Amino acid sequence: MKLAERLSAAVAGGIRRIGQIAIRPQDGVYLLCHIDDENSDASLLEKFEGSATARDLSTWAEDGHYRFTKGELSLKRGWLLQLSSSEELRQALDHFYPAAAGLWFAQHDGRLEIEHLRDKLNRQTGMYRFARTLSDAGAQRLVSEVCGPGHCCVKKILWQLDANTPLEDSEASRFDGVTGDIDRSQAIPLLCREACNHFVAEARKASKAEQDAKATG
Amino acid sequence: MPFTPKPHAALLIVGHGSTENPDSSTPYFDHADEIRRLGAFGEVHCCFWKEEPSMREAEYLIDADEVYVVPDFISEGYFTQDVIPRELQLEGPTTSRAGKTWHYTLPVGVHPSMTGLLLRRAREVAPDADPAQTTLFIVGHGTGLNQNSTKAIKDQAALIKASGAGYAEVLDAYMEEQPFIAEWAALATTPNVVVVPFFIADGLHSYQDIPVLLGIEAEPGEAASQREVFRHNPHHVRGKTLYYSSAIGTERHLADVILDQVADFDAKYHEAR
Repeated sequence: MKLAERLSAAVAGGIRRIGQIAIRPQDGVYLLCHIDDENSDASLLEKFEGSATARDLSTWAEDGHYRFTKGELSLKRGWLLQLSSSEELRQALDHFYPAAAGLWFAQHDGRLEIEHLRDKLNRQTGMYRFARTLSDAGAQRLVSEVCGPGHCCVKKILWQLDANTPLEDSEASRFDGVTGDIDRSQAIPLLCREACNHFVAEARKASKAEQDAKATG
Repeated sequence: MPFTPKPHAALLIVGHGSTENPDSSTPYFDHADEIRRLGAFGEVHCCFWKEEPSMREAEYLIDADEVYVVPDFISEGYFTQDVIPRELQLEGPTTSRAGKTWHYTLPVGVHPSMTGLLLRRAREVAPDADPAQTTLFIVGHGTGLNQNSTKAIKDQAALIKASGAGYAEVLDAYMEEQPFIAEWAALATTPNVVVVPFFIADGLHSYQDIPVLLGIEAEPGEAASQREVFRHNPHHVRGKTLYYSSAIGTERHLADVILDQVADFDAKYHEAR
């Protein structure tokens, strides 16, 4: 079954949320809004149609900063997006939370490939090659300092440092990828199958700081 | 070249992206929208180096079993030859993996049809400038690390010279290697100068750095998405009349070049079909 059809079936089966988006099927269309606007008077929300609008709605946070990481807990409020088909729903969700629905279906099917941090760092080249030398302790610390809802990312981390080294317990490593108080069976969790490039950039900085500390220590 | 639609295949446009501003990825989404509108592929997706979805996440976006991967990049070099094949786990022009077949085309910037786009953009930005009194600069980034990075730009300058467009001079110039675009006024002997940045997006380089090197701004301005208006041409600076265009990748017809690269790939590798 195609992703759009699976998504449509999932919504028909009760899925109502992904990240900070509430999904409501109504008379053959899908209505999307911010989860904090779910109970707002719809007449007060700005109306949009079509999946392309999803990119505009998800680009800037309320405070004006650029949301280059879409798992950020900073989606703007005040809008209502109408989508006329399951294909439009798929395209819109891929703007709001790129590949998130596909990753979730792949996990369901048992074909989601998870990449542990060492594999990710060891394949870096160019200026990011420095990230390879980050210590285990530095990597564990970085997860608690960069990831998780406390640092604005609401994805469920699936990776470990390596196959034998799980992440240490923290708010970030415990987070289940579902935002807000909702029955977990009604939500598509946001999944993090490998460390993002923002994390790699931070790993490079942390690795350099470790080397500088050794040189001066 | 007319494109035969591929309703059973997916197109994956690969871009650089940015953690600084959305202008870097906007052209990729625009090209994807245009190709969807043309109905050329069953599905069209984008993935990025610096933004989401990442290249490793791309396969989870795609239904089709056959995928054409087009690097929406200007030149062959580090990204198209090292990073993209590594991240998408491509082993050559065609790779079969986990039930999908991946075709990897050349980057858009090296396609011969870019010449027509560059000429069109040069005419649009300076409609009143007589080509015989005008030097056309095609500007790239340039790096001492990879000779390939300037090849696409040198090739285009040569093609435009040979095209009969009538420009007094057509020169390639770079931000970070010789000939430097900062020296444009000394390099050009004509009263009019047209500068077309050979970049995909109006990101940091074409929108903020090059205007400073040209002398039309004193310091890097805001990102394109943060501005009310585009720059006004022409600029009277260093004793010449200067016309500065937005990056060539923002041209809507770049979508056609993406399809041209796919058609060329098929002609080269799938002649038996």
